[in-house]
Amino acid sequence: MFKKILIANRGEIALRIIRTCKELGIPTVAVYSEIDRDSLHVIFADEAVCIGPAQSSQSYLKVANILSAAQITGADAIHPGYGFLAENAEFSEICSQSNIKFIGPSPDSIRKMGDKAFAKETMKKVGVPVVPGSEGIINTFDEAKIIAAEIGYPVILKATAGGGGKGMRIVSEEKQIENAFLTASNEANVSFGNPSLYIEKFIQNPRHIEIQILGDTYGNFYQYGERDCSIQRRHQKLIEESPSPFITDTIRNKMGEAALLGVKSVNYEGAGTIEFIVDRNLNYYFIEMNTRIQVEHPVTEMVRNFDLIKNQILIAAGEKIADLPLEPRGHAIEFRINAEDPDHNFRPCPGKINYIHFPGGFGVRIDSHVYTDYIIPPNYDSLIAKLIIWGTDRRHAILRARRAFEEFKVEGIKTTIPFHQKVLLNEKFIEGDFDTSFIDKQLNS
Amino acid sequence: MDINLIKRLIKIVEQSEITEFSVQEGELKLRISKNSNSTHKVHFQPTNDYQNQNIASQKAQIVDESKSTEVNTKESKLHEIKSPIVGTFYSAPTPDADPYIRIGDIVSTGSVLCIVEAMKLMNEIESDLSGKIVRIFVENASPVEYNQPLFLIETI
Repeated sequence: MFKKILIANRGEIALRIIRTCKELGIPTVAVYSEIDRDSLHVIFADEAVCIGPAQSSQSYLKVANILSAAQITGADAIHPGYGFLAENAEFSEICSQSNIKFIGPSPDSIRKMGDKAFAKETMKKVGVPVVPGSEGIINTFDEAKIIAAEIGYPVILKATAGGGGKGMRIVSEEKQIENAFLTASNEANVSFGNPSLYIEKFIQNPRHIEIQILGDTYGNFYQYGERDCSIQRRHQKLIEESPSPFITDTIRNKMGEAALLGVKSVNYEGAGTIEFIVDRNLNYYFIEMNTRIQVEHPVTEMVRNFDLIKNQILIAAGEKIADLPLEPRGHAIEFRINAEDPDHNFRPCPGKINYIHFPGGFGVRIDSHVYTDYIIPPNYDSLIAKLIIWGTDRRHAILRARRAFEEFKVEGIKTTIPFHQKVLLNEKFIEGDFDTSFIDKQLNS
Repeated sequence: MDINLIKRLIKIVEQSEITEFSVQEGELKLRISKNSNSTHKVHFQPTNDYQNQNIASQKAQIVDESKSTEVNTKESKLHEIKSPIVGTFYSAPTPDADPYIRIGDIVSTGSVLCIVEAMKLMNEIESDLSGKIVRIFVENASPVEYNQPLFLIETI
């Protein structure tokens, strides 16, 4: 087992990882930027090293300083959390060259499964359904028209180098395709320096459902069921739950099996998530794989009753997966509490939290790094807490969530709490009848 | 800024003929001034990097209640040299060599003051001003973090 773990991250996930390390009896090293000096992860870790100024590029992304911090403290493993360097293959590589274990998949796995095109090919090879589309980049209008006709309109043109909605155009009929091609290509070039596009079937208002997997170095692979993450705003998840109120047992078993086939074929090590989109006819299609621990991992932990971070550490230390999948118990919903103003287009509200009181009681879990008088720095993401509710079934979880939010007090900043409270009273949400268009359709004032 | 450092700096001002100095570390600026009656006022204020005006309270405020008149700001004479990287501090180029500098030495801009070793690379840390080495804050072979104060230089 490792003698010391350095957590190359900040905020709630750094605290989350430190907690499991403490339970495993492993000393921890926190790294922090100057503005994070008073952060909880710094206080709770056994040691802490300042690695740079507030800007992420000079601190949490500064590989040299992070590795140096590991060396001067004698850490023999680094947990990258999520975001920052978590899916950086070079960082994984450099760690291994420096004799420090990167708690995550190999550089090769990160490169391969992190590449959307390669991941798609991999899944296709093992018979997992993928979103129908072009084999690679489309070079001519004619090519685009032929492929679009094959897969059927509507189609979406996407930038190969990009994401976040840029360099994308939806096309509903052939006569629009040339113009869409030109504008998407231009936008892609401006945003990512690469004008190349590929084409995919456009699936209208899908559900976003992902499968959690673990793979160890003994050839053991397990899947731990799904998380339904359809409540999103601009492709950012806000609420996640398990089990999905939409899919049937047959489908969830098939998706689980499909996820396993994919990760087995690349001998994946560690925790990972296979993402699918599911249309209203319960057809599921692989879209991408996340080669890291995810923000919403607690949802799976609550329903399957095990510690995902602990298993990540065990696997990385060369041990077998400690927790085999248990039958899911009850229903869990996670609400992301962001320092954002839902009444003003969710604009970020960094600043001082004058007062915060977290809810408690049976089935209420808070993963948060903030406290009264904490100043939220403007330099990082706006997530200040995750409220994870467990109930005996979905209805109970919703009632419990409403009760918990009544206790949840924050003063000094705006948060997404009122937004979540609205969702919990929304008929469609209560029925479990929602997809990725939910926020736009149901909640836009 | 470390409270022990502040205490040391106050002591330096007290015991020397310096009447006023200020130093800045990141967003925090510290100014210590004393008048001829030897009372002094210590101001601790963050520079305004925050976009949101909700951040009303400052991180720390130490104000001496004793009467003293404000001294006009003069050019600050004491400067800290801080580590730009994380690593291990070495005062000499090799274990058996003489240290690069000692207290009392006069250095000029560009003089090599020490080495900070990171990932097997020896990084020479150069002075960014000229002056006299007044203080060395770290011991040979000790770990240093980003912006950790290494030397105190008095400009002349």
